[in-house]
Amino acid sequence: MTAKTRIMAVAMIATGLLSLASPSLAHKLHEKGAAVAVANAPLWVTPSRDWNQLSGRIGKYAETWTLDGGQLNDVTFYGGIPAGESLVRERSKKHDPLPKFTAETLLIEVPELVERTYRAFKGIGTFSLISTDPAPFLGKDGVRFTYEYTDDDELTRKGEARAAIIGGKLYMMTFDAPRLNYFGKTIADYRALADSATLR
Amino acid sequence: MRRIVARVAAGLACLLAQAAAAAPALPPPYAGAYQPQGVDEIGLWREMDEDEQRLASSSLVIRDEKLTRYLTKILCDTVGADRCNSARIYVVREPTVNASMAPNGTMRIFSGILLRFQNEAQLGAVLGHEFGHFEGRHSLVHFKSRRQGTDLLAWAAVLASLAPSYDVRRSYQDLKLSVYGNLYRFGRDQEREADALGISYLNRSQFPPQAGSQFWQNIMAEFEASARARGLKKPNFERIAFTASHPPHGERAATLAKLALPDAAARDAGADRYRAALAPWLPLFLEDQIKLNDFGASDYLIQSLAQSDWTAPLWFARGELYRSRGAQRDLVNAAEFYAQAIAADGSMADAYRGLGLSLVKTGRRSEGAQALRTYLEKKPGASDASMILMMLPKEGTGN
Amino acid sequence: MSLKRCSFWLGLVLSMGIFAIAPADAQERSAVRQGFQLATNSNKRILVFPPSVRVGAQSTGGMFEPNAEWTERAKMNIQGALKILQAKLGNQVIVAPDADGDQARNLHEHMSLFAAISQAVIEYQFFVGNRLPTKKRDNKAEIFDWSMGQSVANLPGADSADYALFIYNKDAYGSTGRKMLQMVAMLGGVGVTSGEHVGYAGLIDLKTGDLLWLNADGAMGGDVREVDGADKRVAQLLEDFPGSQIGKAAQQ
Repeated sequence: MTAKTRIMAVAMIATGLLSLASPSLAHKLHEKGAAVAVANAPLWVTPSRDWNQLSGRIGKYAETWTLDGGQLNDVTFYGGIPAGESLVRERSKKHDPLPKFTAETLLIEVPELVERTYRAFKGIGTFSLISTDPAPFLGKDGVRFTYEYTDDDELTRKGEARAAIIGGKLYMMTFDAPRLNYFGKTIADYRALADSATLR
Repeated sequence: MRRIVARVAAGLACLLAQAAAAAPALPPPYAGAYQPQGVDEIGLWREMDEDEQRLASSSLVIRDEKLTRYLTKILCDTVGADRCNSARIYVVREPTVNASMAPNGTMRIFSGILLRFQNEAQLGAVLGHEFGHFEGRHSLVHFKSRRQGTDLLAWAAVLASLAPSYDVRRSYQDLKLSVYGNLYRFGRDQEREADALGISYLNRSQFPPQAGSQFWQNIMAEFEASARARGLKKPNFERIAFTASHPPHGERAATLAKLALPDAAARDAGADRYRAALAPWLPLFLEDQIKLNDFGASDYLIQSLAQSDWTAPLWFARGELYRSRGAQRDLVNAAEFYAQAIAADGSMADAYRGLGLSLVKTGRRSEGAQALRTYLEKKPGASDASMILMMLPKEGTGN
Repeated sequence: MSLKRCSFWLGLVLSMGIFAIAPADAQERSAVRQGFQLATNSNKRILVFPPSVRVGAQSTGGMFEPNAEWTERAKMNIQGALKILQAKLGNQVIVAPDADGDQARNLHEHMSLFAAISQAVIEYQFFVGNRLPTKKRDNKAEIFDWSMGQSVANLPGADSADYALFIYNKDAYGSTGRKMLQMVAMLGGVGVTSGEHVGYAGLIDLKTGDLLWLNADGAMGGDVREVDGADKRVAQLLEDFPGSQIGKAAQQ
């Protein structure tokens, strides 16, 4: 290190003192029975038990809730993804693009869109869609699908999701949890939350 | 920083020297089984043994004895029966172009690379290359150089996080490239050595050694196709690419061509035998590739696999690829590709599904509904049957 | 979808162990499920799975470098210390039989779940600045509700015991370069951890899978490469183990 770079390093350290003050990481409580709008959208849910909203967001149209931590149970709301957008934030639009929801995407193709997004975003080589069935969501014709994949923490996770395309936008709720214990334990709470969802 | 520049310069000099010295080569006598020496190496072997135990019980490993036996045979045909006994082959379901051999003898072959071989000779070229790493016991050296690389990165991260302005971040990213470049340049010397060993096995085998060069030329063409579809600049393969762990593909293909015995070019590369061995797995490997969301590379790959024959699985894969990108012209093409798949194999239920969905999306609803009905007839227990049924117009409504 | 890959920067900062410094003493390290009590000599059988032990060095870049000699020594030391201390657990100890094939795969997945739960407890219930609101409230009501589920009843040896003890250790010792980096960063108010000493010990009810007691910390003490250090580590992991006198013994 030359004298000049050493001075620069000290200056950088000094500015760092100010800028790196504690990051705000407050998770939010959503109480049982209190209707709330999620994912910056007119998408309302009424929890049947208390849930935590995680402070980070994986995308502009997404919001994540959990009971015990994202690694154990993860409910993600996708609030009205417009045509031409990906489900979650792309790391690089040019070099690492994610699949897009389009104006032509059919409801039956939404599970494939989720599969391709998970594969590309999480960098996992395998993902199996287990079932795809019609089921109303937000009072409209919708799709309910289930899937399974293994993450890099070597836990196999199961997932269940509901989606509907309303006014050209994709609304969806996913639930992901380890197949050992946590999926079975929380699935009823997720379903109650999904049943309560309405578009206002 | 000066040290990095010096190393890059040294690397360039080495590259030129190697290219000049290239001549057909034969492998050295085999030294036999090797045991780890010293603290670092013993530690590394223990990790590898534990990794192998985990790998052996992993759900990602494709447990197909016939396929594994076939790959082992090609390895033995390439490197010779004395050498090949020290390798244990695992096929990993992972759609990337990769294969590796750890110093303890664990050889991993990713499904993505199996999809890209055109014949047994190309497979042998890559297996021989990985075996060359094993014979050179390179992983330990690589581990030591990786340690130095990340040391430098950590210092940069602290300085950058202390003043997180755009400029510092940018220079941090530059540094990251240089450090990885340093790391990978070091790796590339080893790659060159393994290439030389690999080609020497091929020279001595029944396979045409030119296959190594052909394989890399194909990979380069695929990279170009991928970049073109994303609207990126054509990659310059002659320059040292800092992000690649291997020698620039251009240099590599040229060197491999020089090292190959010229009069061995007429040997049988075993294209038909390779296609037959891979056929049961081709649809699954193609599906994993298509879902990577790399349109250009996938389309190039499908077309290059179809050079000898457009089979139903290839037409179907192309239909799925175009439908997933989903522009109107893609959907018109997709319908055409599915129709070709059906013409080649009328029992392929999923092709009717793809055809039906593509037609519906391009406004040809009644034709689409007809195809979807055929899908349900051919596959009544389909996991999405009830969803498809909902899409069909009720009888008599004439929708 | 989980937030694991939420941003390049966050990932980089976390992977290098660079955090804003949190007051270390404010953080809890162990908890007991509400209402759980284990009396000394209550004739309960405790199944002990082989502790997961990995020891290596942490380079300046934070990369883990496995060291077989250290791992081997630490394994011996920890198992030796455990053998002595488990006699003091106050109840009957059974060593789990070896597992292979599908059984090994199943045990491995349960170990991964134990690690994920321990991390979630540290991240969302123990770590003061990052508690989930519902866990904060649980803390006030002295509720500690985590479970591995009833599938633990099928683990090898489970049919002959009441409880299972899971022990997980990962130690990376800081290199000289890493320690210097730490000093520079301290001047700037950025916390860089030198070395990583993760230790989790948990008691699981083999009928329900409930986590009855957990002692988990990302900053454990004791140099497991030395006999004394391993004794200290195991004592630290098992301190306050229900029904034992180990905590007090370790203080003396």
